[in-house]
Amino acid sequence: MSSGVSGPTVALGIADVALSLVTLVGLQTPLQAAAAVAVLVLLPGQALTRLTQVDDVALSALLVLSLGLAALTAVSMTMFYLAVWSWQACVVTMGVVTVLACIARGRQEAAR
Amino acid sequence: MTKALEATHRTQGYRKTRDVACALAGVVSLALAAGAASTVAVPVNSDLGLVAVLPYPFWVGVLLLNIAFVVALRGDATGPARRLVMLWLVVVLVLVLFGTAAFVTDIPRGEVAFRHIGIADALSRTQGINPDIDAYFNWPGFFALLATALRATGLDPMAVALWAPVLNMGLWLAALGVLTGYLTRDPRRRWLVLWIFCLGNWQDQDYLSPQAFGFFLYLVVVALVIGPLAARTPKVRGIKPAELAAWWRGRSPEELRPMHRVSALAVTLLLVAVISASHQLTPFMVLIAITALTLSGRVWPSRLPLIIAVVVALWLAYPASAYLAGHPPLAGGGLEDVIVANVVDRTSGTAGHVLVVQLRIVLTLALWGLAAAGALRDWRRGRLDIRVVLLAVTPLLLFPAQAYGGEMLIRVSLFALPFIAMQASSVLLPADGGTRPTLLAAGGLAVICSLLAVLTVSGRFGNARFDVFTSGETAAVAAVQRLAPPGSAIISAAHPTPWRSEGYLEHRYRTIEDLCGPGLSTPTCGPLVYGYARHNPAGAVVLLTRSAEAGLVVQGASSASNLDKLEAWLSAQDGVVLVFSNADARAYRVTP
Repeated sequence: MSSGVSGPTVALGIADVALSLVTLVGLQTPLQAAAAVAVLVLLPGQALTRLTQVDDVALSALLVLSLGLAALTAVSMTMFYLAVWSWQACVVTMGVVTVLACIARGRQEAAR
Repeated sequence: MTKALEATHRTQGYRKTRDVACALAGVVSLALAAGAASTVAVPVNSDLGLVAVLPYPFWVGVLLLNIAFVVALRGDATGPARRLVMLWLVVVLVLVLFGTAAFVTDIPRGEVAFRHIGIADALSRTQGINPDIDAYFNWPGFFALLATALRATGLDPMAVALWAPVLNMGLWLAALGVLTGYLTRDPRRRWLVLWIFCLGNWQDQDYLSPQAFGFFLYLVVVALVIGPLAARTPKVRGIKPAELAAWWRGRSPEELRPMHRVSALAVTLLLVAVISASHQLTPFMVLIAITALTLSGRVWPSRLPLIIAVVVALWLAYPASAYLAGHPPLAGGGLEDVIVANVVDRTSGTAGHVLVVQLRIVLTLALWGLAAAGALRDWRRGRLDIRVVLLAVTPLLLFPAQAYGGEMLIRVSLFALPFIAMQASSVLLPADGGTRPTLLAAGGLAVICSLLAVLTVSGRFGNARFDVFTSGETAAVAAVQRLAPPGSAIISAAHPTPWRSEGYLEHRYRTIEDLCGPGLSTPTCGPLVYGYARHNPAGAVVLLTRSAEAGLVVQGASSASNLDKLEAWLSAQDGVVLVFSNADARAYRVTP
């Protein structure tokens, strides 16, 4: 891309926004579960892992899972402590985390 | 030239046939084991647990799977079978060993998973955290995650709990697979470590729980510390302070890109913070393990233990302070008390139950013995990896610190298991001329793996008589939740009760065992229970289930006749009315 931001970064950000909206609107159970897992764990995990610039495939895959789960734990727990929790708020917050991570990654790519 | 091409073609054909045969053997093993397990009738009426009632096709499946694995592991001169085949066999092993109970029944096994669902439910209903409720609300990380995941996905909590062991084992194996990649480049050894890790995993800590989540993150932290955050150390010249200082200064980072190290450090700290917020014990294990690795010179950020200590201390001092005010961290410690709680108290009960406990001990000692032999062999050959030894041994430091409800030894053996498996693999594979076992050695390995599998199934599902629940029992719990007025007490005979998954904060939950202490004789225990129930302003419901009674009898806390007498006495008291009854449970309402 002319801006220097890679296609996967843009795709990740767009997929996150789209899936977050779909999850908030609601789907049938198996699809809702898949969409929610993607929005809450996999996409944030992927976006955060891309920030670490780890180039080992196995470690990257592990970090996607662990960072996704850890970030969701931190976000959910903080919301409970602040008494502002709802699962919809968690979806929105994790979506924002993912988009911010994509923006940060995009800046890294543009600076190269 | 033509002959050489034909030989290559034949070799490739053999490899393909072997791989397909191993993969098919995995399919057959899974079909046999799952099919056999699904025929088991619930309740399980043997003190030996599932091992006594699983039909022989299950064991044929287990044997076939281990043989297929060893054939695939042996492979040929170039290495083991294809990665996809090895991975498939590991998946089948996880389903066979850790999904067995899910093939037997669609009700989650063990009481604690129900309780954990109830805590997540309570959090999502109250939308806040009150640390004065109980210990779980002082380490709420995992429950916050669970609450969000269950509500957002719309999944049935019971289905999640039922399959949690398989899911958690998948996560643990993923982390262990990456971790072993930093410890050895030999693919045979890496696959064998994963296999032994599954075969030695009798501890049954992979249910829907904070410790299972914490253990996954612990393995990821260790992978980061021995991976991107590792240090190279020069040879130690001596133990004089100046020589040690020179050795320490001579360390250099394995990862030469500073930004990669910073990223790995940031991830590690996030994971440590989440572990500290999710489970009481795991942060201490992280601290001990990372400190030991750092002191060995194998971790580049040398202040990491200090940072972890600060994170753990801050969590204890603030979010967990409500619990710690009444429960000092080292209370119940001391070697003698810990041995009594972890060993003596656990080796009592019926003959069948004691045999199960002994089999668990045999399995643990067998693996530790293999690991010790492997360590000795590696040391003699000058290739002992001090990191593996430290990670295997450091969990023992937790043992005398806390009785941990009699579970410390179980936790210690689980934390050590990945590295015990790593060290045991050294003695199970040839050391010279590559790691391809001879046919004889492969046969021996298949026998050892099959024996370990039998021991694991025996140990892991040894409490099935009281931790596999019937639909009658869950129906009774649902009825009690409906019948018990808000604020009333619900009293069960003992802890193996599938309760508290709903209304966690609406009732006071007690067990007769907790109210009366050991013995449960009617003259002393009856009035205690009756008095507690009547003095509760909203009254109480006493729930007597098959599993709770079996738990007391099998573990030697009471006898069936004692419990019958207690129930007869209780049901004859004023204000006590039978309000629910089925084949597996009775519930009595006690009016205040």
